[in-house]
Amino acid sequence: MNRLRRLKLVLWSITGLALAVATARFLFGLGPVTHLSDAFPWGLWIGFDVMGGVALAAGGFILTATVYIFHLERFHSIVRPAVATAFLGYAAVAVGLLFDLGLPWNIWHMLVFWNPHSPLFEVGWCVMLYLTVLLLEFLPVPTESLPKLRKLYCALLKVRLPLVILGIGLSTLHQSSLGSLFLIMPFRVHPLWYSPALPLLFLTSAIALGLMMVVFESHCTSYFYGREPETDTLASLGSVARYFLAGYLVLRFADLIIRGDAHYLAAPGWHTFLFWLEVTFIAVPALLFSLPRVRTSHSGQFAAAFLGVAGIVFNRIDVGGLAHLPAGAPFYFPAWTEIAITAGVVSTATLVFLFLIERFNVWEQRPVDPEAAPLEAPRFHPVGTTWLGTPAVASRTIYSLAFVLAAALGFALLAPRPAFSRGIPPQPVHRARGGDILWIDGNLNGYGVAFPHAKIEAKLGGDSSCVKCHHMNLPRDRNSGCYECHRDMYLPTDAFRHDWHAAASGANLSCNQCHTAAHPRTASNVKTCGQCHKDLIPPGATIQVKTYQTVGYVEAMHTLCIGCHVNLARQNNKPGFAQCTTCHKEPRPLDDAAAQPKTTGVGILLPAYAPK
Amino acid sequence: MKAAILTDTTKCIGCNECVIACKKVNNLPPDAPRRWDRDDGLTARNWTSIVQGPSDSFVRKQCRHCLDPACVSACPVGALTKSPTGAVVYDSNKCMGCRYCMMACPYGIPRYEWDQVVPHVRKCILCNDRVAKGLQPACTEACPTQATIFGDRDELLSEAHRRIAAEPRLYHDKVWGESELGGASVIYISNVDLGFLTGAESLPATPVPTTTEHAMEAVPFAFTGAVAAMAGINWIITRRMKRQTGGPDE
Repeated sequence: MNRLRRLKLVLWSITGLALAVATARFLFGLGPVTHLSDAFPWGLWIGFDVMGGVALAAGGFILTATVYIFHLERFHSIVRPAVATAFLGYAAVAVGLLFDLGLPWNIWHMLVFWNPHSPLFEVGWCVMLYLTVLLLEFLPVPTESLPKLRKLYCALLKVRLPLVILGIGLSTLHQSSLGSLFLIMPFRVHPLWYSPALPLLFLTSAIALGLMMVVFESHCTSYFYGREPETDTLASLGSVARYFLAGYLVLRFADLIIRGDAHYLAAPGWHTFLFWLEVTFIAVPALLFSLPRVRTSHSGQFAAAFLGVAGIVFNRIDVGGLAHLPAGAPFYFPAWTEIAITAGVVSTATLVFLFLIERFNVWEQRPVDPEAAPLEAPRFHPVGTTWLGTPAVASRTIYSLAFVLAAALGFALLAPRPAFSRGIPPQPVHRARGGDILWIDGNLNGYGVAFPHAKIEAKLGGDSSCVKCHHMNLPRDRNSGCYECHRDMYLPTDAFRHDWHAAASGANLSCNQCHTAAHPRTASNVKTCGQCHKDLIPPGATIQVKTYQTVGYVEAMHTLCIGCHVNLARQNNKPGFAQCTTCHKEPRPLDDAAAQPKTTGVGILLPAYAPK
Repeated sequence: MKAAILTDTTKCIGCNECVIACKKVNNLPPDAPRRWDRDDGLTARNWTSIVQGPSDSFVRKQCRHCLDPACVSACPVGALTKSPTGAVVYDSNKCMGCRYCMMACPYGIPRYEWDQVVPHVRKCILCNDRVAKGLQPACTEACPTQATIFGDRDELLSEAHRRIAAEPRLYHDKVWGESELGGASVIYISNVDLGFLTGAESLPATPVPTTTEHAMEAVPFAFTGAVAAMAGINWIITRRMKRQTGGPDE
C-alpha cells in the first residue's frame, strides 16, 4: 500500500467518524456533543475551523495577486493549487460554521437583516462573496477541457482580472475583520492579545501565513504523489514570507510597548507561556527563511513553513478563545466529538482537493494514483481456461469499508453518552440526618433545610399522619426515607426492581403478568405499580404515584412542602410563610458551629466538611 | 420615559422573591444545575439571580440594559435591539445562533439553551411587554423590601444620589451603571464594591462598541484602498510590460 493510499484511508475513516458525530450534533443539539458553556460560548469550531480556516486559506489571494497583479509569471505553476486550496478552505469554514451555529438554517438571515455595526456581519458577507469569487476563479480549471462549456470558460477568463482584484479587496477586509471581531471584548481577551491594532496584526500575519501555506501544501502533496516540489519557486515565497513574519513580530511587540502592557511579557502564568510559545513558532521560521541554505533545501523549507503555519494558526486559536480570561467556570477543553467534527471537515476538504488534482489540470501534469485501479474482471489464461486470480481489492472498496466501519465506531462511541441527560450531572442523594429536627441536605453542599419533623407531625395529626407525606414504602417498611427512592438530586430514577418482581412471580414464564400487551415489552407499555399493589398508596396520601420512575429529590421535596405552604399562606394571609427563606433560612449553616441548625433531638449527625 | 431599575444592595435580604416572580411572569420552567452553567446562578431559565457579594451582601444580578449595548452592536442579524422604553430585547425569529452577543457582553449576561435542539439566547428583557402596558417589571413588584425599584432613569439616579448623600458612611460614593461603559438602565448603589460583577477593577466611561464601530467605519476605505491599489499596480505593470515588449517598434 503506498503512502497516498494510506492517507486516503485515514481521511475516509475520519470522515466516517465525523458523519456519526454530525448526526448526533443535529439530533441532540450543541449541549450534549460539545463542551461549550455559558462562560465559553465559542470553542474549537470557531477558534480553529473559522479563525484558523480563513487564515489558512489566505494563500489564494496572495498568489492571485502575485501572478495576475504583479505579473510574476514564474509562480504561475502554483497559482491553481493555491486557488483550489483557498476555495476548499473557505468551503470548509462555511461548513464548520454550520455545525457551530445554533440555528444553522437561519444563516441566510445575514443577507436580509443587516447590522453594519457588527464585524461578524461584515465577516459573514465577505466570506460569502469571496467564496463565490473563488469559485469563479477556480471554474476555468474544470471547464477548460469541456468543449461544451467553452463559452463559459472564455467568459470566466475575461472577468478574471476584476475577480482577482475584488477577491483581494474582500480578503483584506475579512482577514482584518476577524481581528476586529475581538475588539468588542476588552475584558475577555487577555491584554497580551487584546489591542486596537488587532485588525492590522491579523492582516499582516494572514499574508505571511498565506505564503507559507502554499509552501507547506506544495510539499505535502508532492510527498504523497511522489513528485518533485517546485523548490526554487517556493524558496522565493519563503524569502518574502520572512519579511512579513518579521514585520508582524515588530508590530506585535511595538503594539505591546505602546499600549504599556509590556510588563505582562514577564508575568509568570498560563497566558505568558502561550504568548512566548506562539512568538517562538513565528520567530523561528522567520529566521529559517533568512538562511539561504535552509530556504533552498527541501526539508528546511518544509520545516520552516510548517512551524510558521502552526504559529499563526496558534495565534488565531489564542485570540479565538484559548487566551481568554477565566470567566467563573471551569476552563473549556473541546470534547472528542468536537475534535472529530473539525478533523472530519478538514479530511473531507483534503479528499476533495485530492480528487480535483487527480481529475483536473490543477497541476501542470495530472498525477496518477498507481493503485487506484477500478475493479477489474478476474483474469484467465488466453488459451486455456486457467484462472489467473482476481486483481487486488480496488482502493475504493477499501475506502468505503473504512468509512462505514468508522461511522459505525462513531455511533457505538456516542451511544452510551448521556445525550438525553441535558447536561445535568448525576448527584446522588444523601439521607436526611437528625431527630426531631431533620437536616435535609441531599447533595451535602451546606444549603439545606432544618425540617422540624416532630413539629409538623404533631400539626398534621400525630402518629396516624405519616401517610400524608410518606406516600410509598419499601416492602416491610413503615416509613421509608425520601432518599431511598428519590436517589438523584435532579434526575429521575427508577423505584422499580425488575429482578425482585421477576423472581417473585415465576421468572421467565411470568412476563405477561405485567407486560399484558405482548409487544412491545417496554417500560412505557406495562401495568403500573398501583394496579397490583393496591395498598401501595395509603389512603390519605398527598402524592399519587403513577409511574415506576421517581422525580428528582429536589422536585419531590418542593412538591411535598410548597403546595401546603402556599395554601396556608393564602388562607392565613401570611405571605412570608411560602417564601424560599421560610425553609432555606441559613444559606451556609455549616460555616461555623454556632450557625448550625438547632435541634432538640438525638443530635444532628453532620459530617465534617467545608462548604464550597 | 426611560425605564430603569435601581437596586440598593443594602436593603436586599436575599429572599429570592424577585427570582421567583421573574420565573412566573416569563413562564420559565424549573431549573437544575447544568454542566454548562456559570457560577452566578443566571441560566437560560433564570434571568435574574441573587449572588453573594463580599461581606455577606446580597447582589441581584440581571441584564444591565446598557445605554450603548455591546450585544446589540455585535449581533450580525440585529436580533437584539434597544427598545424605545430602554430594554434590550431579543427577537428569536431573527437569531441565527452565532452567540457573538454572549462573547461581547462585558457583564457576561446572555445565556444559551445548550440542551435544546433549536436553541435561543435568553436573558432579562426588563419585562418589556409589562412596561409597555404601564406595569412595572415582575421583580421590582415582588421585592418585599423595596431593595430593587423601577422608575425613570433620571429620577432613579437622583434618588440614588440622594440616598448616598443621606448616609455617606453606609454607601460607597458611586452609582454603578451611571456612567461606566456609557451607562446602563439597571443601576446599583451598595455598601460593598460591586467590581466583582464584571471582573474588572474599574470600567472606563467609553461604551464597549466604540472600538469595533471605529474599526467598521474604516471598512469602505480599506476596501476601496485595496482595490484601487491593486488596479493601479496592475495598470502600471501591464503598461511597462507592453512598452518593453513593444519597445523596438516605437
